[in-house]
Amino acid sequence: MTYLDWASTSPPDAGILHEAAGVAADCYGNPSSSHALGTKAKAKLEEARARLAGAISPSGAAAAAGASMAPRLLFTSGGTEADGIVLLALLRQALNSRRDGSIKRLHVIATEIEHAAVYEEALLLKALGIAVTFVAPESDGRVDPRKIGAAVEKDSALVAVMAVNNETGAIQRLPEIALAIAEAALSFGRPPPRFHVDAVQALGKTAFDPAASGATSAAFSAHKLRGPRGVGALWTAGVPQAGVPLEPLSLGGGQERGLRPGTENLQGAWAFAAAAARAQSAFAGHAAHASALEARLLDGLKHIPSALALPLGRAAGDARYSPYIMSAAFPGLSGEVLARALSDLGIAVSTGAACSSNSRRTGRRVMRAMGLSEELSLSAIRVSTGELSCEADIDAFLEAASSAYRRLKT
Amino acid sequence: MDAFYLIKIGEILLKLGNRREFEDRLRSQLHKRFDSADIPHTIEMYPGRYFVTVPEERSADAEFILARTPGVNGYARAIKAQKSVEAVLAAAIEVARGRLAQGKRSFKAESRRSDKSFPLGSFELSARIGEVVLAAFPESRVDLHRPEFTINAEIRERAYIFADPEPGVRGLPVGSGGKGILLLSGGIDSPVAGYMMARRGLALEALYFHSYPYTSQEAKDKVASLAHVLSAYTGNLVLWTAPFTETQLKIKKDAREDLTTLMMRAAMMRAAGLLAERIGANCIVTGESLGQVASQTAENLRLTQSLTDYPVLRPLVGIDKEETITLAKRIGSFDISILPYEDCCVLFSPKHPMLKAKLEREREAYDRLDLDALIIDALKKADRQEILQGPRP
Repeated sequence: MTYLDWASTSPPDAGILHEAAGVAADCYGNPSSSHALGTKAKAKLEEARARLAGAISPSGAAAAAGASMAPRLLFTSGGTEADGIVLLALLRQALNSRRDGSIKRLHVIATEIEHAAVYEEALLLKALGIAVTFVAPESDGRVDPRKIGAAVEKDSALVAVMAVNNETGAIQRLPEIALAIAEAALSFGRPPPRFHVDAVQALGKTAFDPAASGATSAAFSAHKLRGPRGVGALWTAGVPQAGVPLEPLSLGGGQERGLRPGTENLQGAWAFAAAAARAQSAFAGHAAHASALEARLLDGLKHIPSALALPLGRAAGDARYSPYIMSAAFPGLSGEVLARALSDLGIAVSTGAACSSNSRRTGRRVMRAMGLSEELSLSAIRVSTGELSCEADIDAFLEAASSAYRRLKT
Repeated sequence: MDAFYLIKIGEILLKLGNRREFEDRLRSQLHKRFDSADIPHTIEMYPGRYFVTVPEERSADAEFILARTPGVNGYARAIKAQKSVEAVLAAAIEVARGRLAQGKRSFKAESRRSDKSFPLGSFELSARIGEVVLAAFPESRVDLHRPEFTINAEIRERAYIFADPEPGVRGLPVGSGGKGILLLSGGIDSPVAGYMMARRGLALEALYFHSYPYTSQEAKDKVASLAHVLSAYTGNLVLWTAPFTETQLKIKKDAREDLTTLMMRAAMMRAAGLLAERIGANCIVTGESLGQVASQTAENLRLTQSLTDYPVLRPLVGIDKEETITLAKRIGSFDISILPYEDCCVLFSPKHPMLKAKLEREREAYDRLDLDALIIDALKKADRQEILQGPRP
């Protein structure tokens, strides 16, 4: 099978899985136990945490040395849970404010192109009475920082903007967005709201550093960069935003500073750290490789009559996009049908987010939000590459897509 | 212990010359269904009444089957007793005990005596039953107009005592009306149409047109699930899946846009007719309802009908969607039908479909498409799957 669905998940690194299995077998004590086995596991967990922190945010890790308000890194069960901790904390905040009467209203801003892990939670907050503003992207798939700034209100408590969109690869201008948020908040005489970044598609693939991006929290996942599934991380800046500490909705044994209770997944944490460190050290080489594949794909698409790269006008080497993620429209053929036909030809791609292709309810939300017609949106498929992808994969895709499109287009 | 059921038959009793044939058909249907569910059983037949005995632990499975076998009007768990007054009264008390345990209090008794040698008349027997039940259970009371349960005693070749028969699906035993091809899609209507015709005694083989990759494997699995639901009523069911992509692509390519859906329906009818010939069916069943969608106007039905000389039975033709949905919910197909998998129609969605086909003109357009070779090929490649009437879900 030609695997071009790396944005859904990546083939795990067998060496890392093996190493992690060794850690699991060797350090089986509960990190919260006070006996020697527990202490040993705890030490291993902290070693993984420091290693991952260094891979995620080299600048933050360096600044942290000696600082009392150092950034923190929590292990979670994945990107979705990391997002959920931050978004659902608003419910605790709402509860607290109702108790002491300090804040009448809470407001949240999210983009219309967020991953379901953020978007659906935002809808839930809305259903539970928290005001939510959704900000649309421009036609290039990027959100205008000024629009985020304009959406900020006096009561805004949280802004969520993803780092790299999982369907278009659009890289968001986070530092400018952070600045726009701060300026808008200042105009109300308020401290800036929390700024959460879903960075699941960014880690190891773009030059994203949460500390440098202006984010106050960021969500990560291990399996997108050849780590195992079931482990992710939530990075938080050292300073509690607007004086409001992050309070969890799920409670338990107080692990991970109480924000993510539950016995720690030591082997997962270990593997995540190893995978992230590996991706970080090979970053430049991998990125150059991805750019070459991107160029090959976008060039090849031009030779398939009627096929279009998405967002419209995307060209190779465009710094607005992650070279690892591309979408293409095949007008007159549903993306779902093309993906099915490609699968029969031995090629794995997705229509949008793999996890939302099960539900018709949301349709092609991201494409529609960019102002694309229904026909183009529904005809889109996503091609995503990784370090093991090669030119032959791209060529195989182009050939198969071209023949399937010719045969099945209506 | 065994569970003993009295089975009421209805419409079969109206048959005169060939009643025996219908009775044999129902008996063999019951045997098949119990065998298929691996339920050890015996069936006894007496005029107007059947009796089924199964092991107690399989009683729920047996009731699932009895409630869904066409030809069965109703059934009741019964006690069979000797034809003595004492035995009948003792059984009546047992029957009452069961109902009272369900919290029911008011009752009446009804008796039928076809064996006139029994010492008590029907009226007297009912009165005696009332007396002994009242005496045995002080909390019970007689209510002749709106009783919470009715104790029935039938004095025939033996005595049978039971309460409140459960309704069956009535109709005629499957197979007594011949065999039909059911055009089964993933929608709400066609399974209901199949259910209605099974109740009229039609044995069914279902035909589904699969347009891969336009329709997904999930859509195909969904149709198999619908066939499975239907098989509770029809008994084991054959599902034919015919690959239809090539035929549809040809229609898309060569037919005028407003005619695409109509031409597809016509092609499906042609395929159904050919399959009917091949398997020896004598009619075609569809879920069409007059005026429901553009392809189901009388003019368009005339065109699709022209592709076959088998009678096309459309049991839903005169009922509306709401009634169909009510039936779909009752037979258990609705929740499957509304799963969001596209059917083969997604390939065509003419903005202004032809509403009133002119037979000669549109038939000529159909013939010009020259689809027969593709249709024959689709039937040749069709997959035949036996859907075994499943156990109770």
